Amino acid sequence: MSDEEKIVRCEALTKAASRCKNKAEPGSVTCWVHRSSAVKLGAQRPSVERFAEQNLSDRELRERLMAELDDLIIRVQGISPEYSPPPFSPEKMVDLLDEQGEDGDSSFRLALLKRLRGSINEDILDIETWKGAWYMVNYTIEYQGDIVKRRLKGDYETDAWGLDWEFIEAVRPFLDFMYKVYWRVETTGIEHISDYERALLVGNHSGQLPWDGAMLMTALLNEHPAQRLVRNLYSKWLPTLPFMSSILVKMGQALDSVENGVRLLEQEELVGVFPEGYNGVGKLFRNRYKLARFGRDGFVKMALNAQAPIIPVSIVGAEETYITLGKSSTLARLTGFPYFPISLRFPWLGLLGVVPLPTKWYIDIGQPIPMDDYGSDAAVNPALLSQLTDKVRNVIQEMVNNRLEQRRAIFF
Amino acid sequence: MAISDRRVILVTGVGDYWGARIAARLAADPDTLVIGLDDVAPLEEIENLDFIQADIQNPLLPELLSSEGVDIVCHLKFVESSDCSEANFNLNVSGAMKVLGACADAGVRKVVLRSSTAVYGAHAGNSAFIAEETPLRGSSKYGYTRDLVELEAFCNGFAVQFPEISLTILRFANIVGLTATSPMTRFLKHKPPRILLGFDPMMQIIHEDDVVEALVHAAQNDVRGVFNIAAEYAMPLSRILRLARRFPVHIFHPVAYKGFNLLRGSRFGPAEFAPIEWDYLRYPWVADLRLMVEDLGFSPLYRAEETLREFAADGQYNMEKDGDERIAYEEGRLRDILEIRRRARERADQ
Repeated sequence: MSDEEKIVRCEALTKAASRCKNKAEPGSVTCWVHRSSAVKLGAQRPSVERFAEQNLSDRELRERLMAELDDLIIRVQGISPEYSPPPFSPEKMVDLLDEQGEDGDSSFRLALLKRLRGSINEDILDIETWKGAWYMVNYTIEYQGDIVKRRLKGDYETDAWGLDWEFIEAVRPFLDFMYKVYWRVETTGIEHISDYERALLVGNHSGQLPWDGAMLMTALLNEHPAQRLVRNLYSKWLPTLPFMSSILVKMGQALDSVENGVRLLEQEELVGVFPEGYNGVGKLFRNRYKLARFGRDGFVKMALNAQAPIIPVSIVGAEETYITLGKSSTLARLTGFPYFPISLRFPWLGLLGVVPLPTKWYIDIGQPIPMDDYGSDAAVNPALLSQLTDKVRNVIQEMVNNRLEQRRAIFF
Repeated sequence: MAISDRRVILVTGVGDYWGARIAARLAADPDTLVIGLDDVAPLEEIENLDFIQADIQNPLLPELLSSEGVDIVCHLKFVESSDCSEANFNLNVSGAMKVLGACADAGVRKVVLRSSTAVYGAHAGNSAFIAEETPLRGSSKYGYTRDLVELEAFCNGFAVQFPEISLTILRFANIVGLTATSPMTRFLKHKPPRILLGFDPMMQIIHEDDVVEALVHAAQNDVRGVFNIAAEYAMPLSRILRLARRFPVHIFHPVAYKGFNLLRGSRFGPAEFAPIEWDYLRYPWVADLRLMVEDLGFSPLYRAEETLREFAADGQYNMEKDGDERIAYEEGRLRDILEIRRRARERADQ
């Protein structure tokens, strides 16, 4: 809310030369992973303010770019003192940038190109600037290329919860495909989510598999200016499956418990919950879009304990990805699944029945519901908890109904 | 300083690795008189150690404690075995109960015990950071977890019954080091280590030197209670294996569990095949370290990555001599060592 509470990000660079996305420890400029670089960063950081898009003269622009490049080079030398780029020439530089133009995700490279373009003027082309840029671009390329070797050596970082940004970047193309092409998700209401503060996103659950959680996460990563990551909370059953738990943990998701939720919220993270749980996800087709019972008030406790606003989210379109006609409890017992859905295509068509239908999705993010004026003993007051649960449920149901009225077709 | 002014610490299990190391470390302090108790003498001579050869289950233990005026007892006699044998249970649990009873009788001021974070158990529903108050659901299939869970349950009651004794229990995460033996080191020394296909839980480790430091810190300072001890920040099991330069073989989990049951009682029994129980390689069991930092005031010197890189030096395979990889590895090692030494100097200065 106020400027003092803005989250300070770590100043160090990761091994892939992109800006580290972790939060800085209190009283330091680096996160816990780059703690050892804190001394170097603190001592050598030139006093240059962050580059702002202002009307600066070309000379000032150039000087700022130089200072920033020097800054970055010092930090990179801190990480990899032994690195030195191949010999420089302006033609090679242009070739290199051309080659690498469409490739890779290094936000640094894009930013550098934009600024170089902004500062290039007929006689301002400074050889030192170009040399600095040459160093950085080569470094990024070399270390991006080396990513497999680095990971095999264990030379990567995860946060205390297991979040692995390199993994997310690897899975991103698939998620983006599902988001943009397959389900053509339309997201509204992103402005209700702040850049740095904690919030509890509460959504309606549907669609047999937790695709809606994945799409909510992709929506925030793609559409939100600060690229916030939603830490969804998943049920106890998912980690018993092979691969699922490691994938979920590497994407920053955590197990569904009030403790975990509160802890994440206290670290100013965005936490996503789907309180309907199995009742919601296993809904039969005839009950679609009618919200099931909202769990055991756990999410309200989380929000109250952490003083985080609840942001209702309605996801329309996930309900029709699988058309479930019934559930079999015998098969559920046999396979160990929490419930066993019988749909038009599953289990008859086997794996083909697991492919979801390409419906059109709408994610609507509502107004935050603040939790600060309920007093300190609110979290143990059962009447208040169920009252708030019902309130949130009604808000989401209304949002879902509104969107359904506006929707003309399921697949388009 | 007169002999009567010195603090008297009794360390049991000096014939074994941990007892010997803690006794050596404590005995280096001139203000402390260290008495070692075990039925076998330590393999190497420990300077300034007063060794008494006796079994901890000896009924005259209370007399020993009171006549020697023991202030602090570090009970480290514990047989770490995967087998669930009666003999081990008697020594580990009943023996410890007798020692604690003797301490209560003799008016010992403080008792320090070594336990493990494995007592929480590895379950799908575990919290991401397990606090010390969490009920213990450690598995009872392996001897060492079962014994520790029993022992801790007893200690719970004991602490309530005898509040004047300062009982400190340190629950250590997986211990890794070049000289120590622990389930984790046995697991990592397998060629190749066996893990479950598709599971990659977050795990914590701690360096053997930090284990010694933590126990000594607990003995010398005025603290009481249960504390989780681990090198800060957990990491996925896959990363642990890669830093230790081990390339594991993945076993499909139903096969692993069935196979394990079949092999039990055979020559290839649990200790050989799976030193760490499958569940612990499947679900997370990460402990919360807030109390360690805030209340105990202990911070491990070695970071998890440094511990593993040092351990990797032990396995000479997976790297050819004089290759590029080897050179880069050696450089990384020296960088680690310098970093650790710098940190140790900083701490000594404070």
